[in-house]
Amino acid sequence: MTQTDGSPFAPHTPAETAAMLEAVGVDAEADLFDIPDEVAFDGEFGIEPRSEQEIRGELRRLFARNDNLIEFMGRGHYSHYVPSIVDHLSDRAEFLTSYTQYQPEITQGFLQALFEYQSMLVELTGLPVANCSMYDAATALAEAALLADRVRQTSGHRIFVPEHLREGKRLVLENYVDGAGLVVESYPMDDGNVDHEALAELTDEETAMIYAENPTVRGTIEEGLSEVGEIADDNEALFCLGSDLVALSLLEKPATVGADVVVGEADVLGLPTSYGMGLGIFATRESFLRQVPGRLVGVSEDADDRRAYTLTLQTREQHIRKERATSNICTNQAWVALRAAMHIAALGPDGLVDLATDCVRNAAALAKRVDEIEGYQAPVHDRHHFREFVVHTDQPAAAITADVEAEGYAIHAIDDHLLQVCLTETNAHATDGLVDAFQEAA
Amino acid sequence: MSFDVPDDLSYLESHEWTTTDDDTVTIGITDFAQDELGDVVFVELPAVGDAVDAGSAFGVIESIKAVSDLYAPVSGEVTAVNEALFDQPELVNSDPFGEGWMLEVEPSEDEFDDLLSAEAYRDQIA
Repeated sequence: MTQTDGSPFAPHTPAETAAMLEAVGVDAEADLFDIPDEVAFDGEFGIEPRSEQEIRGELRRLFARNDNLIEFMGRGHYSHYVPSIVDHLSDRAEFLTSYTQYQPEITQGFLQALFEYQSMLVELTGLPVANCSMYDAATALAEAALLADRVRQTSGHRIFVPEHLREGKRLVLENYVDGAGLVVESYPMDDGNVDHEALAELTDEETAMIYAENPTVRGTIEEGLSEVGEIADDNEALFCLGSDLVALSLLEKPATVGADVVVGEADVLGLPTSYGMGLGIFATRESFLRQVPGRLVGVSEDADDRRAYTLTLQTREQHIRKERATSNICTNQAWVALRAAMHIAALGPDGLVDLATDCVRNAAALAKRVDEIEGYQAPVHDRHHFREFVVHTDQPAAAITADVEAEGYAIHAIDDHLLQVCLTETNAHATDGLVDAFQEAA
Repeated sequence: MSFDVPDDLSYLESHEWTTTDDDTVTIGITDFAQDELGDVVFVELPAVGDAVDAGSAFGVIESIKAVSDLYAPVSGEVTAVNEALFDQPELVNSDPFGEGWMLEVEPSEDEFDDLLSAEAYRDQIA
């Protein structure tokens, strides 16, 4: 072996490169690649070299130009206060790795944390199997549809989703299931929630899966979800329920309403709302264990009968089963799942339920205050709400959002006269200001 | 190592065995196949009443080191499934031609897929 004069972890010094090129009989590294001229970049990047200090200074000036709005925006992304212990523990070097926990002999700590994450999901959903995460709620939903297509319990190709489903989520779903020949269709909502009668009317034996969300994208809390489960059963279809970690701690347990798969966002905990990063929940029945997409951590015993954690049931996965794998996902969001689990552990069971309870109470209280202002009706839907609610405005919604923004607050306009407002503990301090801004704008 | 290859059965190149002398046929995998797979941990089979197609996969067998499709030697309707395998998949290892059977199928046509005699199958795995 060539003597290395560089780092043992990156043995790639000029001398080694030259030795390797000589060994394979090539003059230059470029000769190893066949890149067409028309796609090769042959210009200057135009980046002036600066010192770290200068770059930091410039970035600070750049960031200062951002509007510093207080957000009351939700619709899929929610901000909850992340306790500092989560940063402190998850930033430990043992956890900061992009390397998958394939080797149980060196990753017991991380594997145990992921097993805890799965166990929390099992407790929150009431379903016995949870994987150790998907990319986000949208891909988890799409994987649920593919699972519905694979299992013998269903035979159809129709996937039903709420008409209010966020467009981005629907596009991901459609893109994912197109190759499997599945068709995505909408069912109507009745005052924010599933219209049971219309759903029963629309579905038939060609239905493979019915998807519902609780809370809905408009913040309403579903009532009578077991009826959706029954409609799915009547059509030999799967019932997939979308939710999030906080809501699951308070709302009807998915297992008790007949959900076959639970998907959703786990990024409501452990993460800020920045960068669009997600963390997909995936939990299901034991009978579908071998159809689960993604990674599973299991608990076993080592040669000395000690408890040991390991990735398990990998014969479902691509690196073993190739094109017949249950899914194309060949990774997970391990570090993000770790943070979500740490956040739940920091809150504790009571803390998590208290947080969820505040999501209901505070939204109701704010809706009442907005409703009292001339020119607004809130909440538009006569339902219980979780974190967010829809407001009707007599003025054009776009004019209201612009006026409110001028006062330093960001809200969604979802229609010509409909606004959506989302409240959590991270913006609760600013509700008086928001109410004043609504008053001014009316 | 020599493997058990009963003379009264017929075989597929893909290592399934089948009976051929009754109105319904019984299907399983061979001693050679179970040995190649190693410890069987899971068998996925169709339900009674399902149709199987000659030459197509009717199920999946999973061992600690591999996953393989199971192929049907004949088209027809499943009349019985060895449910014991769901709890004791290791029966495929311990008794592949007996308690490790998988399906009973009532053929819808006389045509079997290309079957091998016991002798021909012995040559294949030799």
